[in-house]
Amino acid sequence: MSERIVRGRIDRAGILVSADAPLLKLQRRAGAGLDRPLALPQLARLVALAQRLQRDISRPLYAADDHSDIHALVRVMPDADGANLEISDWRTGPVGQPQVPSIPDMAAAPHAWAWECDGQLRLVVLRAGVDAPPVPAGWEGLSLSEQFELQPNEAGRFAVLRALAQQSRFEGQRVRVAGANAHAAWMLSGDPQFDATGRFTGFRGIAVPVDGPGSAAGAPEPRTDPAFGSLPLSDPQFGRRIDGALRGPLSRIIATAETISGQFDGPIRADYARYAGDIAHAGRHLLGLVDDLADLQNIERPGFKAARDEIDLGDLARRAVGLLGMKAEEKGIRIDTPRPDDPMPAWGEFRRVLQVLLNLLGNAIRYSPLDSQIWIRVDREGDRASVTIADQGQGLSADQQDVVFEKFERLGRTDSGGSGLGLYIARRLARAMEGDLTVESAPGQGARFTLTLPARDPG
Amino acid sequence: MSDSFVPPGIDLPPSTLPARLAELAAYLAAPAAGRLTEEQRALALGIARRLVCEIARELDRGIDADILWQSWLADGVPAAARLAAPCFARAEEHRWREQSMQQAAMPFAGAAGDARPESEQETLSAVDRAYLQLQIADGRRRDALGSPCIAPADLDPALFRTLLLDIAAWQLGRIEGDQGEGARLGNAVNGLMAKQASAPGIDAAARDYHAALAAEQALAEAAETAIARHDWPALIALAASAHGARFEAMAVALLSAEPAALPLLLAPLRLDRAALAPLEASFAQLTDRAVPGVLADHSAPRAEVRG
Repeated sequence: MSERIVRGRIDRAGILVSADAPLLKLQRRAGAGLDRPLALPQLARLVALAQRLQRDISRPLYAADDHSDIHALVRVMPDADGANLEISDWRTGPVGQPQVPSIPDMAAAPHAWAWECDGQLRLVVLRAGVDAPPVPAGWEGLSLSEQFELQPNEAGRFAVLRALAQQSRFEGQRVRVAGANAHAAWMLSGDPQFDATGRFTGFRGIAVPVDGPGSAAGAPEPRTDPAFGSLPLSDPQFGRRIDGALRGPLSRIIATAETISGQFDGPIRADYARYAGDIAHAGRHLLGLVDDLADLQNIERPGFKAARDEIDLGDLARRAVGLLGMKAEEKGIRIDTPRPDDPMPAWGEFRRVLQVLLNLLGNAIRYSPLDSQIWIRVDREGDRASVTIADQGQGLSADQQDVVFEKFERLGRTDSGGSGLGLYIARRLARAMEGDLTVESAPGQGARFTLTLPARDPG
Repeated sequence: MSDSFVPPGIDLPPSTLPARLAELAAYLAAPAAGRLTEEQRALALGIARRLVCEIARELDRGIDADILWQSWLADGVPAAARLAAPCFARAEEHRWREQSMQQAAMPFAGAAGDARPESEQETLSAVDRAYLQLQIADGRRRDALGSPCIAPADLDPALFRTLLLDIAAWQLGRIEGDQGEGARLGNAVNGLMAKQASAPGIDAAARDYHAALAAEQALAEAAETAIARHDWPALIALAASAHGARFEAMAVALLSAEPAALPLLLAPLRLDRAALAPLEASFAQLTDRAVPGVLADHSAPRAEVRG
């Protein structure tokens, strides 16, 4: 750990006008220099945020150059002409052990196919092991979801799509393959591939037949298809549809946001960087939608049950505020949170309750006016514990309250703020935890959403 | 001396006394000369085996490729001198790429890559389409285990024909003068030759990629990006096409080039001198790299850029 402070100065246009040696070195390694826009994406975002809020911001900074990972604490102090940077606790460590790509376990799975795809999930390799059925003709360049019909897992998720979003390893992705010579059901696994610049370049893995020799042991049978709104899982096009739903926005996030917002190809014009904000927004929306769809599949699955954890609604409310507080600050919204000495013990699944509260609080922030206030209160009535989130937004009419918990209901909104599934899922989750989610509101008077759960006596 | 390294599936026959003595004599004649490492030897041998076995299976499913290879290992591979160059080139390229892969940067946290699930071919630009085809052609240069191999489509047609005829002769020798079988194998050889001529190999993919980039006047940029990303197949493809060389020949030329020779070798790509630094660094880290020199043994292959 170093006590030395590394300093820098950014002008109003985001230009690095002065920098101590370590910061300047990092800027140069990112392809820029002095009197050029700040080329370190995370730092640039913090500077922009601090300038917008006109307040000091301190955050951990994670960066890397060719040789090392860099961890530090950065303080951004905006003023009328730009911002000063103070970076402390500058620590460097060697770049972590790189992932050595390999096709796993092929020697032990001669019945498998080896496959590779590029960053756009287009197949560039599909080869049969010595005892595997021949690969179908015409696979070259097809997308993974065109060659393999993706099937959801028991939790209703698509491992490969999640892995794509997270650029991580996946396994257990059930697929179906058409063709007389192919086994009907296969299981895909894959490792992400990265090039020398850390850019994701695709996946490499194997496909193992589920039912034939060398089958994936213990693989569960596909579950029966639950209803899924207008997208029945029984529709063989389902995998393609959800993949297709991902493609446009996700490509905007991952490709354009990287090249523009990440500035990995060097500094760019400030207005281009602003576009990246829009792109990232589209990406977040899409990922939220995919998560919602996966959640929807999960909670509508027959026999879905939530865990029964010992929880504190006050604590969970504060956690939700901690996660969304910055978003509220950007709109000048103050959140009145339950105090730490105001616990509200209850029964419910920790992460599911947090998910519900994040949804409610996110909605409250999204639909609240600038410089308004949101209140969060916890309460107990008999054997029911509750948490209420109230805002000063435009409120809901009685008709709107009747439909607000319905699937895909967005109350006529057409912006990209949500999928129309959040409140439906939230209420389903609340009821799965033996609770409920209700709303009280009137036009022009804000809305009060109340989550009730079985109360727990502190013990 | 490093431990002997033999990849699975290669069961080497025991050495004969004359072979040992010949090896020792060659060693005594030039004790200081660098020789193939066990890794290089094993890689090249594996590549040769996979190539011969694949061609044999394509020629006639009735040929027992494993017995064929064991037989050739014992008696010597008939086209050894001509097979050495492509096998060595592929082996060295593989070592180079494996080294780069193992040194690949970890992804930046939260820094998504160029991942755009786009399957619609019509949305691809000509450059993207050509690059995809290059990746597919390159993918055919690994087997299902990920081991390096040579796709028959990438092989020099004359060498391919030689191998086909050698394999057919070996098979005919086993079945002893079956004229019907001879005619059938002859037809199969001709059929495979015709198939190879029309198969899109790495050289055709490289030319298409180069042409697509040239049309966009984006050659230098693409080559610099390939170097920065350690995308060596793309770099080899561009350099090979720029020189009108075969992919394999360019791979060997690059891999055996002195640092000072790299700018000249890559001059047609009009690269900035600084852009070559990652390439030079990568070569510097590659152990046991061959350098250009006069071949004392003229039976050994000479790496030439011209294809």
